[in-house]
Amino acid sequence: MTSEDLLERCRRAVANGRRHGANAVEVFGQTVESVNATVEKHDLQISKSQIETSFGVRAFVSKRVGFASTNAPSRIDAICQEAITLAAASPEDPHNVLPKPVETEPIDGLYDPAAASFEATDAVHRTAEILDRVEAIDRRVIVNDAWFEAQRAEIAVANSEGLAVRELGSLFTYGLVATARDRERVSSFDVQSDASRTVAGIDLERPIARACENALASLGAAVGESFRGTVLLAPRAVADLVVGPVLFQLNARNVLRGRSRWKDFIGRAVAATALSVVDDGRKPGGVATSAFDREGVPHRKAALLEDGVAASLLHNTYTAGALGESNTGHAAGSARSVPAIGPTNLSILPGEPSVEDLIGEVQRGLLVRRFSGNTDPVSGDFSGAAKSAWLIRNGKLDRPVSGTMIAGNLFEILKHLSGVSAVSEPIFSYTLPTLRLERVSVTT
Amino acid sequence: MRSLLGEIAGAANGWIELRFHSRRSKRLIVRSGQVEESSSVDSVGVGVRAFVDGAFGFVGTTDFSKSGLRRAVGIAQRAAQTAAGAKRKPIAGLAKADLASGIFPLETDDPLDAHSLAEKLDLVVRIDELVGSRHRAIASSEVAYVEMVDEKIIVTSDGASAHLHDAKPAVSVLAVAARDGDQAMGLETVGVTGGWSDLLRTKPPEELAERAIRLAIDQLSAPYAKGGTACVVLDPDLVGVLAHEAIGHTVEADFVLGGAITAEKIDKRVASELITMCDSGTSEHLPHAVGVVPVDDEGVPSERTVLIADGILRSFLHNRETAARFGVSPTGNARAYTYRDEPLIRMTNTYVEPGETPVDELIGGVREGYYLRGLGQSGQADSNGEFMFGVREAHRIRDGRIAELVRGVTISGNAFDTLLSVDGVGDDFRWEQASGFCGKGQPAKTDDGGPHVRCTLTIGGEQDD
Repeated sequence: MTSEDLLERCRRAVANGRRHGANAVEVFGQTVESVNATVEKHDLQISKSQIETSFGVRAFVSKRVGFASTNAPSRIDAICQEAITLAAASPEDPHNVLPKPVETEPIDGLYDPAAASFEATDAVHRTAEILDRVEAIDRRVIVNDAWFEAQRAEIAVANSEGLAVRELGSLFTYGLVATARDRERVSSFDVQSDASRTVAGIDLERPIARACENALASLGAAVGESFRGTVLLAPRAVADLVVGPVLFQLNARNVLRGRSRWKDFIGRAVAATALSVVDDGRKPGGVATSAFDREGVPHRKAALLEDGVAASLLHNTYTAGALGESNTGHAAGSARSVPAIGPTNLSILPGEPSVEDLIGEVQRGLLVRRFSGNTDPVSGDFSGAAKSAWLIRNGKLDRPVSGTMIAGNLFEILKHLSGVSAVSEPIFSYTLPTLRLERVSVTT
Repeated sequence: MRSLLGEIAGAANGWIELRFHSRRSKRLIVRSGQVEESSSVDSVGVGVRAFVDGAFGFVGTTDFSKSGLRRAVGIAQRAAQTAAGAKRKPIAGLAKADLASGIFPLETDDPLDAHSLAEKLDLVVRIDELVGSRHRAIASSEVAYVEMVDEKIIVTSDGASAHLHDAKPAVSVLAVAARDGDQAMGLETVGVTGGWSDLLRTKPPEELAERAIRLAIDQLSAPYAKGGTACVVLDPDLVGVLAHEAIGHTVEADFVLGGAITAEKIDKRVASELITMCDSGTSEHLPHAVGVVPVDDEGVPSERTVLIADGILRSFLHNRETAARFGVSPTGNARAYTYRDEPLIRMTNTYVEPGETPVDELIGGVREGYYLRGLGQSGQADSNGEFMFGVREAHRIRDGRIAELVRGVTISGNAFDTLLSVDGVGDDFRWEQASGFCGKGQPAKTDDGGPHVRCTLTIGGEQDD
């Protein structure tokens, strides 16, 4: 199906929905073509391919809304009627409206024509290459999981306000989970991943080298120490522990639900001045880069936290209307889901010191590469296992430790952030530095 | 469709599996009086899996024409061939099994389709109103109804030909209480395999709402627990969570091959002799468990697999590939979430068999300890049996009686050490019948349960400065 077909089918469905009795209709269409291969237990597991076209219809009947979706394009008319039935059964809400069309500037470089000829065989070869490269580095490293996926996606949005946009994109995602084994000693596993919009941008070496290095370094981890104090979170641990609760607080839906403690804090400090967070849906080459959001509203760059001050909520059309603020273009989701709210390319802005400098100032502390546990995004209370963790002694990484738990309240701890590293790493669509936190409870 | 799939599988050169899977899902979510979602998502397709020269290839297709399916078989076979070329150790073969044939209807006298959307939405709105209006300390509420209605046809070139109908509805009720800047949550859920009245009878939504409200409000004034090792009585929900999360995953044969702690423990003691633990695709003891799967997605009829018998580890959970590798029969645990997914080894209904001690006696035997109920905000467990779970509701036990509520309780330890410490197993039984999913690359509807169990484990606490 060509992109013209997809958008045209969305437009036709909008017109049909109106004929069936809806006051307003939005249709989101997507055709996703993917090939992938996966490794499990250090061997190729399966090669998969998939092509699927789906449509998601939001029908509005007197400010009542219903959503229906199908992956059978022949049923699009039926799901328009189903969405209308769902709408009719729902109560009215004055904020149930659709966005009006505005000029959307297309973004170059989202689609690599070379993706069209990428086949399942190529995905198998790339995945096998991960295994070969790991074995060439060190035979003690075992690849628990690895994956390579090539995806070509067309998306289109049309609504009864006259909005009609479409986009074609390619994305290559890959990564691995590695452990090191040396006789009886087994390391904690390390996870590394990366992504590229183009074939030429695929770089397997960085994640492979990093996974091997971290897995080997954590061999021989022993019992750590209990204290309350400094904890450094490496980028993946920042993704595990920090990003989710911050996004939860800034999600305008959660403000409307009365579940955000930052709801009255826009323009006020919620964290140390070292913390600045930016979301940019138009970032060149970004994994989540797209000219428009799930509702067809243009993406733009937004400061979420500026020097510790809460700067902006993330909005879609509904929340912007309900809170009387401008829409930030953060409607998220696919044809199979009602538009929610989510980030695009999110970055925590880097600081000045190197990671070594951050460690150099610590007498006793813990470096955590992954966090596996629970964080309550409402209260900020977290507790869980510090994985791939190192004890810091007298300004140096002392030794790897296992069986260590960290706990505290994230929102309190962010007020005492004592350092942000200059170097960041990509964690899928996030770009994150290492953060140094104080007053964290460390238990062994 | 079944005969078309049979024709395609019969004509294929080599082993092939065709799985037609239609899913109709509905989600109705009301938050604090506002309908947040009223949606219907249909997904239908055929998952085609080929096995060539010791490797699998897989294609998900929405083209059900004879030519479309033949094309998909060709692509899956080529993918398998390519994979075989890159595979270090080819899969030796797939275990033989008495593959299922026939029609497997859903057992219910009140199908979900017989109830209108308006009726379902009315229930959700009514329960949300109940939560929001009952107490002034309730700051917000959220009630969700989610149903999945499935039809599957599983055909393999070596004889499976099963046509299944399934339905799994669920309700969750969340109450958030706030007072003086403090917040606490009460979450109660129910999920079943069955129809509308099966869902409502299992745990009436009004009761879920009352419990969620009470839990949220009571926690506001509750003190935090003190850390340390304690004698605890776990309720059937938490016993089920422990059985599934901390033990069950370590006996999935793919995790065993990946180095899980159980690899060398078959026929060895891993738990107190009071513990017998099973996984079953049938709803044992009580009806409507969430993880009912009469036939798995490889066409293998599910069975009651005894994992631990009187404290001795006896079996792992298998698909046809791992069963062949271990030289045993497949256990009917290969499950795929949608037609797009290949089957993985998953649990169904995992539980501890009831014992002989009345629950009053279990609690009565504790001088100083805790009574722990249900899983709190998720948890995590590793393939070495280490676990940490938040507890939904924790009470002190003093002199053999359930006493005051405490909040912020986590439990941690090694699941096998915990099971070895069991000194009492209740004579009761309950399925957890929760609304959630088990995650392992793909989601899966599973259930867990058991009786009350008394054991020793570590209660989470905070470090001082």
